[in-house]
Amino acid sequence: MSAQKLDQLRMQVKTLDSISTAPVILQPLLEILRMPAETVSFEKVVELVSYDGAIAAQCLRMANSPLFGYREVESVRAAVMALGLQRVRSMLFGLCMDRVLPKDKWVLEPLAFWRHSLGCALVTQRMARKIGYPEPERAYLAGLLHDLGFLVNSLLFTEDFRKSLNRASETHRALHLCEEEILGFTHVESGLMLAEHWRLPQEMCDVAYAHHTPEILSSPSPLTCLVHLSDLLCRVRYLGYGYDEFLGVELGGESAWKTLVTTYPSLAEMDLARFTMDIDGAMDQIVATVDTIFGTGSSARTVTAV
Amino acid sequence: MASESAKPMLETPAQPSAVSDPAYLKIRDLIYRISGIYQPEEKLYLLASRCGRRMGAVGAQTPSDYLEHLTTRGNRDAELRLLLNEITIGETYMFRSSPQLEALRTVILPQIMQAKSSMGFKRLRFWSAGCSTGEEPYTLAMFLLEESQKLLAGWTFDILATDLNDDSVASAKAGIYGDYALRNVSETLRRKYFKVHDEKRLQAGDLLKAQIRFDRVNLSDNSKMVFLKGMDVVFCCNVLIYFDLASKRRVVQHFHSNLLPGGYLFLGHAESLFQVDDTFRLVHFPGTTSYCKAPVDGGKR
Repeated sequence: MSAQKLDQLRMQVKTLDSISTAPVILQPLLEILRMPAETVSFEKVVELVSYDGAIAAQCLRMANSPLFGYREVESVRAAVMALGLQRVRSMLFGLCMDRVLPKDKWVLEPLAFWRHSLGCALVTQRMARKIGYPEPERAYLAGLLHDLGFLVNSLLFTEDFRKSLNRASETHRALHLCEEEILGFTHVESGLMLAEHWRLPQEMCDVAYAHHTPEILSSPSPLTCLVHLSDLLCRVRYLGYGYDEFLGVELGGESAWKTLVTTYPSLAEMDLARFTMDIDGAMDQIVATVDTIFGTGSSARTVTAV
Repeated sequence: MASESAKPMLETPAQPSAVSDPAYLKIRDLIYRISGIYQPEEKLYLLASRCGRRMGAVGAQTPSDYLEHLTTRGNRDAELRLLLNEITIGETYMFRSSPQLEALRTVILPQIMQAKSSMGFKRLRFWSAGCSTGEEPYTLAMFLLEESQKLLAGWTFDILATDLNDDSVASAKAGIYGDYALRNVSETLRRKYFKVHDEKRLQAGDLLKAQIRFDRVNLSDNSKMVFLKGMDVVFCCNVLIYFDLASKRRVVQHFHSNLLPGGYLFLGHAESLFQVDDTFRLVHFPGTTSYCKAPVDGGKR
């Protein structure tokens, strides 16, 4: 993509605030996301969660879902306590992302998008734990937000993005390849623009930008590599973008895998077949959780279950 | 494609309290270590229900008691085998794993055919190793015949189906199936490829049978294994679980040399080759995984 076109895209992303329906808590939440985890105040987070009734309800549903341990918590305070500040912070961000798009602007099926995003968050986090990556919660957030460029493309380039999705689903190819053909850029570039506009930490900007091709960064971070692998794994585990992609991936042959092994040698010992079967086992819960949180009646818009 | 582990829809979930018994996790890990068959935590109730049947038979009161039967008692090897039989319970049906067939149709066959046609070959070879009573090879034959005017236009194929058990081979050759085996076979396919055998059963027709060569092969018989060459895809579902590690390694190495470069090996859906083999590459497809022998160029697909 040319520098000129990139600048143009950057300008357009700046107009996004005026047309998006992002909840008011987004800005204070972004502040919190920029802060080091240990300096985040408990009260501040409880306040943010409680501010918006719909978001508070979604947070409680998430805390009570089997995926997060069936807690039976009834108050926002208890939910934040049970889930931990970092997890709630990520969750809130996800819920805000969900509200950025007005309901008539969704191009991807919202439930498919959330199954992919939450699936990727959980897979990235599980893989992070397996290999001894020190900040699994950070991995969770990175997985959750990696595709935020889809929000930009849906909102600002609705028709062309819809064409890209249709072409991808008709030809069973990867969505980013069809975006490139039709839009001339992909959700990784627009995702980077939005991540920068929201002043997300550099590492998260890298994830948004390089999760399909970590090798475009001179030295991709372990986080970017982890999200790349999780994204692929989700796409071959029915947690893609809601259409059948014809895909065969050898994760061990990916450059991200090889890069990651140099920092985390235990990855080489990881039983990937077993890891995949664990994901398969958790699949029903992932789908059920997304459907409870982002499904019918959970937010401002109504979604028909797929 | 064929015999995968049991019939989930027929299982009665065990009591949740029983499933949470940590002994089940130990039994799960033991089975995985011995057989390569893995049950994720969310599906432990299936394992619990199968253990339940064996526990009744040996008179074990608790999962921990039963674990003892599997690990320290004199007849532990025999008991483990009986449990594995419960887990992979024999009866199977056609078109059991559509993700495997989809992987063949959408990625694997196009890939293999591209590589082969550049060398002027237009023939594909499949092997169902451990075909039991024939559901797997007949499924494969129907799938390939259905594709013969589309994906496989201009190509020919053959299917070798082998089992150690003479009775299984004889029954596979006869090709007579009831409702259970045919449950996923559409009316169209039944009419096209089967004839009526008796009131309750259908028999594979001549066209279907003509695609398959049945034979008795012992996968541990090195002298026979070395002659099976030029395979493109091998299916060996829930067979290796009965082999000890050393023989498993040997069989998998044979498969590796039976296959052409770029060929694929499919195992049962809960099976893994972790720590058994590192010559094959694990490849993920939507809803399934397969093991690929590196192509000649050694490159990435």
